[in-house]
Amino acid sequence: MYVELHARSAFSFLEGASLPETLAGRAAEIELPAVALLDRDGLYGAPRFHHAAVKNKIRAHIGVEVTSAGGFRYPLLVKTRAGYQNLCRLITRMKLRAAKNEGCISAKEMAEHAAGLVCLTGGEEGPLAHALGQGGIAGGTECVRELSAIFGRENVYVELQRHLHRDEEARNQAAVEIARKLRLPLLATNGVSHATRIERQVLDVFTSIRNHVALEAAGRLLARNSERQLKPSQRMARLFADLPEAIAHTPELSSRLEFTLEDLGYEFPKYPVPDGETQDSFLCQRTMEGMISRYGANDEKAQRQVERELVLIERLELAGYFLIVWDIVRFCREKNILVQGRGSAANSAVCYSLGITAVDPVGMDLLFERFLSEERHEWPDIDLDLPSGDQRERAIQYVYERYGKLGAAMTANVITYRGRSAAREAGKALSFDSETLDKLTSLVNAWEYKDDDDTLVRHFQDSGFDVGHPRIKKFLELCIRMQDLPRHLGQHSGGMVVCKGQLDSVVPLEPATMPGRVVVQWDKEDCADMGIVKVDLLGLGMMAVLEETIEIIHDHYREDVDLARLPADDALVYETLQRADTVGMFQIESRAQMSCLPRLKPVKFYDIVVQVAIIRPGPIVGKMVHPYLKRRAGREPVEYPHLSLEPVLARTLGVPLFQEQLLRMAMIAAGFSGGEAEELRRAFGFKRSEARMKEIEKKLRAGMIRTGISVESQEMIVKSITSFALYGFPESHAASFALLAYASAYLKCHYLAAFTAAMLNNQPMGFYSPATLVKDAQRHGLRVKPIDVAQSDWKCTLERDRENWAVRLGLRYAKGLREEPAQAIVAERSIRAFASIEELKQRVPSLQKTELITLAEIGAMNFFMRHATQPAIPEANGVADPGAKKRQRFHRRDALWQVERVARPAGPLLDDPQEAPVNEEEISRSLPFVPPLLPPDTSPLSPMTDAERLVADFRGTGMTVGPHPMSYCRSAMTTLGVRRANELEHLPDGIRLRIAGAIIARQRPGTAKGFVFLSVEDETGIANAIISPDVFAENRVTIVSHPFLLIDGRLQHQDNVISVKVDSVEALSMPAAAATSHDFH
Amino acid sequence: MPFACIHVLNFILQSALRIEPGLRAQAAGILDGNPPFVTVIARNKKAGSLGLQIGMTKSQAEQIQGLQLRRRSIEHETAAHAALVDLALSFSPRIEETAADTIILDLAGLAQLFGGFEKLAQRLGRRAKKFGLSAQVAVGSNPEAAQLAARGFAGVTVLAADEEMERLGSLPVIALNPSFEIRETLERWGVRTCRALAALPVAQLSERLGQEGVRLQELARGASGRALIPTIAAMEFEEAMELDTAVSELEPLSFLLGRLLDQLCGRLSARALATNEIRLRMELEPGEEEIFGIAGKRQNRVYSQSSTTADSSSRRESGAPRNDNGGDRGDANRQSGTRHPERAGLRPAPTNAEVNRAEPDATVLIYEHVLRLPLAMRDSKALLRLWRLHLEAHPPASPIVKITMTAEPAKVRFAQSGLFVPLSPDPEKLEITMARTGHSVGAANIGSPELLDTHRPLSFRVGRFNPLEASLPANDSGESSVSSGVSLRIAESASLLPATALRVFRPAMPAKVEARDNSRDTTHETMNKVHAPARVYFGGVWGDVMAASGPWRSSGDWWTEDPWNQDEWDLEIEFPVPAAKETNAFSRTAFSHAAQKAESTRARGVYRIVRERASGEWFVRGVYD
Repeated sequence: MYVELHARSAFSFLEGASLPETLAGRAAEIELPAVALLDRDGLYGAPRFHHAAVKNKIRAHIGVEVTSAGGFRYPLLVKTRAGYQNLCRLITRMKLRAAKNEGCISAKEMAEHAAGLVCLTGGEEGPLAHALGQGGIAGGTECVRELSAIFGRENVYVELQRHLHRDEEARNQAAVEIARKLRLPLLATNGVSHATRIERQVLDVFTSIRNHVALEAAGRLLARNSERQLKPSQRMARLFADLPEAIAHTPELSSRLEFTLEDLGYEFPKYPVPDGETQDSFLCQRTMEGMISRYGANDEKAQRQVERELVLIERLELAGYFLIVWDIVRFCREKNILVQGRGSAANSAVCYSLGITAVDPVGMDLLFERFLSEERHEWPDIDLDLPSGDQRERAIQYVYERYGKLGAAMTANVITYRGRSAAREAGKALSFDSETLDKLTSLVNAWEYKDDDDTLVRHFQDSGFDVGHPRIKKFLELCIRMQDLPRHLGQHSGGMVVCKGQLDSVVPLEPATMPGRVVVQWDKEDCADMGIVKVDLLGLGMMAVLEETIEIIHDHYREDVDLARLPADDALVYETLQRADTVGMFQIESRAQMSCLPRLKPVKFYDIVVQVAIIRPGPIVGKMVHPYLKRRAGREPVEYPHLSLEPVLARTLGVPLFQEQLLRMAMIAAGFSGGEAEELRRAFGFKRSEARMKEIEKKLRAGMIRTGISVESQEMIVKSITSFALYGFPESHAASFALLAYASAYLKCHYLAAFTAAMLNNQPMGFYSPATLVKDAQRHGLRVKPIDVAQSDWKCTLERDRENWAVRLGLRYAKGLREEPAQAIVAERSIRAFASIEELKQRVPSLQKTELITLAEIGAMNFFMRHATQPAIPEANGVADPGAKKRQRFHRRDALWQVERVARPAGPLLDDPQEAPVNEEEISRSLPFVPPLLPPDTSPLSPMTDAERLVADFRGTGMTVGPHPMSYCRSAMTTLGVRRANELEHLPDGIRLRIAGAIIARQRPGTAKGFVFLSVEDETGIANAIISPDVFAENRVTIVSHPFLLIDGRLQHQDNVISVKVDSVEALSMPAAAATSHDFH
Repeated sequence: MPFACIHVLNFILQSALRIEPGLRAQAAGILDGNPPFVTVIARNKKAGSLGLQIGMTKSQAEQIQGLQLRRRSIEHETAAHAALVDLALSFSPRIEETAADTIILDLAGLAQLFGGFEKLAQRLGRRAKKFGLSAQVAVGSNPEAAQLAARGFAGVTVLAADEEMERLGSLPVIALNPSFEIRETLERWGVRTCRALAALPVAQLSERLGQEGVRLQELARGASGRALIPTIAAMEFEEAMELDTAVSELEPLSFLLGRLLDQLCGRLSARALATNEIRLRMELEPGEEEIFGIAGKRQNRVYSQSSTTADSSSRRESGAPRNDNGGDRGDANRQSGTRHPERAGLRPAPTNAEVNRAEPDATVLIYEHVLRLPLAMRDSKALLRLWRLHLEAHPPASPIVKITMTAEPAKVRFAQSGLFVPLSPDPEKLEITMARTGHSVGAANIGSPELLDTHRPLSFRVGRFNPLEASLPANDSGESSVSSGVSLRIAESASLLPATALRVFRPAMPAKVEARDNSRDTTHETMNKVHAPARVYFGGVWGDVMAASGPWRSSGDWWTEDPWNQDEWDLEIEFPVPAAKETNAFSRTAFSHAAQKAESTRARGVYRIVRERASGEWFVRGVYD
């Protein structure tokens, strides 16, 4: 019997070519009883390997190839838990003191952490090969002696690898001699780098990527042959027929490696409580305080629920976890950071009482077991939404401070090769030039929906590439093989793990690219799988928008808005939602949501909860949407699979829409406990297992027979559960999101200016581009003012416009303008207004020419005109300014004319050092107004035309605050018989018509069977177009690449949902570059 | 002073049409690039109306019916430009080669000769047509105005001195060919025509766009004062000789060549130059006659050849010989690291220095050869010796009627090398020796071997032999250096490997092998015993394997059309010594080493045997000392 004790996976980052799962699967296939994974300087792939091994019924040994200061690598195998902890600490020590992907350890450090580890002498990169190369047999012997001294004689094995190389065999002969001399055991391994022979090609490509050379130039950096794959016992035995003991020692050593990742030894930290308190008593007190403030002192139902939950939390010893999350939330509240728990935590009355979540689970009758149950033996999962950006960072830093550098860390995010990245790297390895690479990678798109014909090969053919060419063929093949292989380790956006004591003895830690951040070597899923509790501190753009909107309202409207106390039944909000006038609103702004809103006609908060949940793959795939809407419209009777389920399904009219309902159905119909029901949901969830599903289904049916449910009803219930569990949305999560959706709708309806400014300041986020947001706001009567150097701040701000508030676009929207000079403009302007472009350049010297040009081109420097009308404008030396008259009609081209002169360096002759101020900034502040050095000359240029201004606006800001591009060609459109978007609601269903506009969103959802949805914007609003797969196939290029389209089709006008079913499409030539559309290709 | 400009629109396409006039009536496009990334770079109107766009790939273009596609030809373009120059020179002695598609002529004093500028311009246009080029011609008071008008206006344009600004005003500023930055600035200003640019105040323009802006404005006003930059006569050294009687013997030909070389070297010497490239072009008499005493073998209609006697660079471009088969057999591209770029489908192939051209007149046979030298020379005797050696090895197909010899001028090499540079043979003598040796063994088989950076066993290329250059860089080859005895990797573990030399057989000898049954195997060194050879047959005899070591496996270049995958075995073989008459010369060599050790009629030797895993064929690669 043979055990492979030295294998590398793709988690050695470009030094291995197979995923841990592939290695484990292959090992099982060739009947290896165990495999040891030794990735380079990390345990990145260990959890995945561990789980894959369990699944494949093989043993997974854990190890690492640790880089030494001498340049070679120690192959170390973990024998005991102490050894594992030593290894984690050793790697952490190495990683934290070095730059990313660098670092090494000394022999002394190795000796300090050697306990519980077994050391092999390695292959060509191992310590023995290195020593033999340096000092021959004597050197090699000395090296092995040193290893024996460090690890103990019984923990050193002289490793032999046979990849059929002459020089390797020469080393082997030396190794055998040394082993015999020192009486150490020999150990055969295959130094595996890939699971099967064919993956050697990927390994070669990785080698070339790692060394930044093309395959052709990589020479002997590449593998010599394809022998580093997993080999079956018989083959290894044949290979080592002359040294059978080397094979015999492998199962022997394997049996000595007792440690597995089951034995991780992770403990969650305890929350520090005052003397005399326990974790549980402290949590109980905090919860009760919160409960009284949330529910009042006399809500018995709430009190019962809270007590029930507290009992369970105590039993599961989770009080510490709740307190730690509570502590983070408390910190955020103290620092005025908006925070809201999402996900299944919203099912918990304790979380609600502690202020972690904002949804009342008692009032909404949510199911606690979806969040926590005794049967599951799992940590609860609490995700906190925070405003994206600085505020979230403050919360993260607080956790670091609270639990120490080795007590808290971010989870990793494994970046894998995807379509484009694989294409680019494979192309580079195959020596394609950059132009060709761009062309090839642009072909690798990612439509959510792919029809049968939507293959990479087809895209290549469409673009004129010869797919029969061997190079292109090989390229395609490599791209496919590289999919999903790890590329490098990133940092997860919000997942944090905390640990009692030293996290570095549980999993190795690394420095993140961001200073002050530490990441664990495992990603979020791996941490969860290994039972490490995590808290997700997620950045949510809409939270940042809400926070900023409230701030702006406070500053300008002088009102204080409390999101927790918004009027629950605001008529304007519901009226707006019913009209699907929801651009910019959280979760309900997409085209699909818009098409559903007029049918669902929300009238109360729970309708929004349903609305958020219903446009999801689960209800769509499970065909729940139409029955629900029909029942709601009274066109279909409300029925239940069984009468006993009425209480569960009544509020969704007999149609199961939420995961909690499935759980309750199982509890009522089959008598499942809460935990069993959750177990059922998981069995049918993402990580499906046929055997497990069958087992649970059997149990479900048995339960239903016991409760006397008929066979037909049983079928219905089983069907709804099996089809829905995969994609279902938790009601609690929907409720948390619905709160944000309602808040965003309320703020948009009542404080449009503040909301729009905040939306614009937090881009990119949401579904629409800033251009669309601005046009939508303008259609709602908001005045949006252009960027103006004399008025704009870096961010968008509010200005009084007669009685109303208007939004002034911020300098951040001037493309290419850096924040530093923009802030300098604002600071200088606050001291004294700029009198000329030249003065602007003088006082903000960091402004570059390109930035000045952009500002001039978008009209941000037209402030002269205003100055000209103000008598206060000073005259140079008391002489009447001859340019004053001209400046009254100062236009963008005047500014461009001035900028060219101002930005042009005067040259050394004219730069008089005597006159040059030592510190321009200081002097300009201390001196009275200085007239421009050069009198502004008259511009001979003609003003821009409307079309030119439009082009300049889009080029310089990505939007226009002036008329919509379509309004400039409206008369021509009318001649062509084009209807405006706002006309459609008055037209009857079924008529043929023509529409035209800018395409602001293109979608091809996976659930829509190849249909494509376009949002077409003109100056009056947004029209929706539906393109059938046939029409799309004929007009693919036009639809995908042209910013403006002319569309012929038939109007569909049903239940106030209006769309155009497209018959034909034509590109529309427009003067302006359109704003970027939001495409889900 | 008046100037004319002649400009050929769509020059690349017109160059092709000039050679193939029949294409004019058809939809035609020109392709450029390397497979599989060939795209359309030029097209005519007819092709445009069929939907052919610039930038389309070849595959896309080929889907359009009724289209004629041609590859871009630099030769055609060079010829078209030369024709344009000839055309201009036939009108004026002072011309400027402004661009490949544009020539400016100084017309001073020519008005009366041609009956006015209008007529002259029209004649220019007509003559261009005769040359197969459709050109736009313009006459202006200065070279730039003429050029601008020729580029901007169709047909023939004659600008009167007082209307230049007015006429040129309608042209777009882009016709002035401004820099990218200025073009962008003018675009932002809304200045799109020469008229608009001409109208800007000059001082303020200068403040903004500098002198370049002022220059462009002058151009826009038709007021450029720049002088013509006359084309200087090319540095051409060519001598030709037409023979009344065709020459078919080497001696008289050598005499004639010697005269031409004397003249060429004399001219080069007068200008303190030498040459490193001499082109010999001979027109041959049609027919198959005996030449140089050998029955003339009829060559192709165009007999072209390029010598690489001393030109290592061209050898490198075309890849190394496949050494294990011995010599250059035209499969050089298979070597790793030296793929022919075109074959790899990537970059354009480097232009070879040689020019092979078909004569338009199909009855003429051409013998053409370029002799490249590693260093510049002007010793006519040495050069003649090199030519003689070449002609002996590569005689022309039939008697010679015309000889043209062209020397590429080059700077004279330094006479004195460094004080501490070791003495080396006289370069001229060395070249002659190399040429002589090359004559015997093949030009591609002489030089210094250089190991290639690859795992492909025994890969090397023949580099140029030049003792003056630094000695060969130290190589760190592993596998391939076994034969050469140099290896960094093995040097590292020098104490681990025995120092053994391998005599490589080139080409490798085909062999037959009988595998040993695993159960009966007794060799102690064998690792993979299943296929361990037991008996080996080569050179006419079967030998018994006494000891085997291997297989040593290597594979690679899987992304190319020439991957390799092979197992090597080191075998100690005992075989009966074959009688001399039973073996060929090669096997005698193969066995000689073993035979020396033979004590009786049986001999032993250690051989390297190779099995190509794809084909299963066996070869004897060499014998260990």
